[in-house]
Amino acid sequence: MLVRVEGLTKTYGKFTAVDDVSFVVKRGEIAGLVGPNGAGKTTIIHILLGLISPTAGLINLFGKDLESDRTATLQRLNFTSPYMAFPVRLTVMENLLVFAEIYNVAEPERKIDELLERFDIARLKNKPVSKLSSGETTRVGLCKAFLNDPELLLLDEPTAYLDHQAALQVREVLIDLKKRNGTTILYTSHNMLEVQRMCDRIIFLSRGRVIASGTPLEVTRSVLRENRDKPALDEVFLRLASRRPDEAVSN
Amino acid sequence: MRSFCGSQAADQMKPYRIKAVIRRHFYEVMHNANHITYMVYWPIVNILVWGFFTLYLRKGDRLEPSVLSCLLGAVILWGLFNAFQRDMAVGFLEELWSRNLVSLFASPLSVSEYVTGLIIVTFGKAMIGLSVEALIAWAFYHYNLFPQLPALIPFILNLALFALTMGIVITGLIFRYTTRFQAMAWSFAGVLMPLSCVFYPLVALPSFLRPLARILPTTHSFEGMREAIASGVFSSIHFKWGLGLNLVYFVFAVVFFRWMFEASRARGLLVKME
Repeated sequence: MLVRVEGLTKTYGKFTAVDDVSFVVKRGEIAGLVGPNGAGKTTIIHILLGLISPTAGLINLFGKDLESDRTATLQRLNFTSPYMAFPVRLTVMENLLVFAEIYNVAEPERKIDELLERFDIARLKNKPVSKLSSGETTRVGLCKAFLNDPELLLLDEPTAYLDHQAALQVREVLIDLKKRNGTTILYTSHNMLEVQRMCDRIIFLSRGRVIASGTPLEVTRSVLRENRDKPALDEVFLRLASRRPDEAVSN
Repeated sequence: MRSFCGSQAADQMKPYRIKAVIRRHFYEVMHNANHITYMVYWPIVNILVWGFFTLYLRKGDRLEPSVLSCLLGAVILWGLFNAFQRDMAVGFLEELWSRNLVSLFASPLSVSEYVTGLIIVTFGKAMIGLSVEALIAWAFYHYNLFPQLPALIPFILNLALFALTMGIVITGLIFRYTTRFQAMAWSFAGVLMPLSCVFYPLVALPSFLRPLARILPTTHSFEGMREAIASGVFSSIHFKWGLGLNLVYFVFAVVFFRWMFEASRARGLLVKME
């Protein structure tokens, strides 16, 4: 198992953001962390990155405890979210050079050029980030996420600000990466169709708790209680989003 | 806590990650005119105003030359202290304003590496300001700081260490209380100025304020500076007091910073700072 989370809980005073969540992500799979707003998806990602300390629970990445081996663990993974930003006065190239140095990337300029080409933003190389659109900044974030050829990629709604064409392109790159490098991806999204196409397995959260998990088809059958032959996560989303958190249907 | 900024992280500090922090701030200085203003413009204005004032005092033989030298020396060293403390906190605020904290701290970069990189950048910027002021004082007011420099360096280092300590405390407060404390970045040195005996000796203070002044490393640095400029003698007692106090405050500052940082992590503030 590349990611093992056991009994993860995060409380802020009386509010419980993540409630006794357990799941695993196997090497080489794309796992989707899905659920409505406030389900705890982003909090879990931030806890996995060590940005938020958990109230209780165990996080094991690459077989090691995150808290005791943070630097070595974070060297092997990467993260992006359209909600994070870069220093706006620095150019795209300058920003990426800073992160390439943090990750100790060999031949950083060549690597950055290659990534800018892959995400179709080579023309923006010398532009300050302040001059970029949200979609362009998202793609710079994706370039940052690929700089160290991560074994594990944590993506928080990576296509949220992208148009249809760009989102499709990003999905293709991610699937290609998984096939070529065996990269493991933990993915959050509101877009159920995207999750259905991308993910081998999904973990459905509501109000901080896991209420269903399995392959998209397994979750569809289990939640809708029908013997479907195709996944229908949109329907599952509508059904589960309105369900009380104690009505778990975990596989 | 141990993993982010504790002893283990210090053992694993990598020069290339510190260099990345220096690179990030170097690019910021190159693109942001505010840094040039802080680094060069204000030191020039400062030394020009005080320089003209000392010229005025010099004309009528109103004061001894050594007092005038002490005045200019104090202006230069206080400028250095103020710049060091301010640039340290503002350097961190730059990350906060640009919402870069998540990317930085979701990477292998440790807080110790980040702070070390920031100290190096801040030291470089403060040295540029100091050099500009010293050159103007030498060129226009015939005040040459450089022959006295060997006797002043220990006090300059004590000032830099205290400024660093203050920068760590303010950065910790910003981590915990976010931008509510950002004004401290510019104003905190000013709070200490009246008690630091920058332009007057300790005996000039009312007796009830002297014990407070004595526990500030800045007071010992400026007392030592005055002795060095007036008599050319290095005051080891002021240096030792300043250094001793500095070490105590530095340890407290590091503990305080860790406490604030972990409180910020526990409250999820690190990902919400803007």
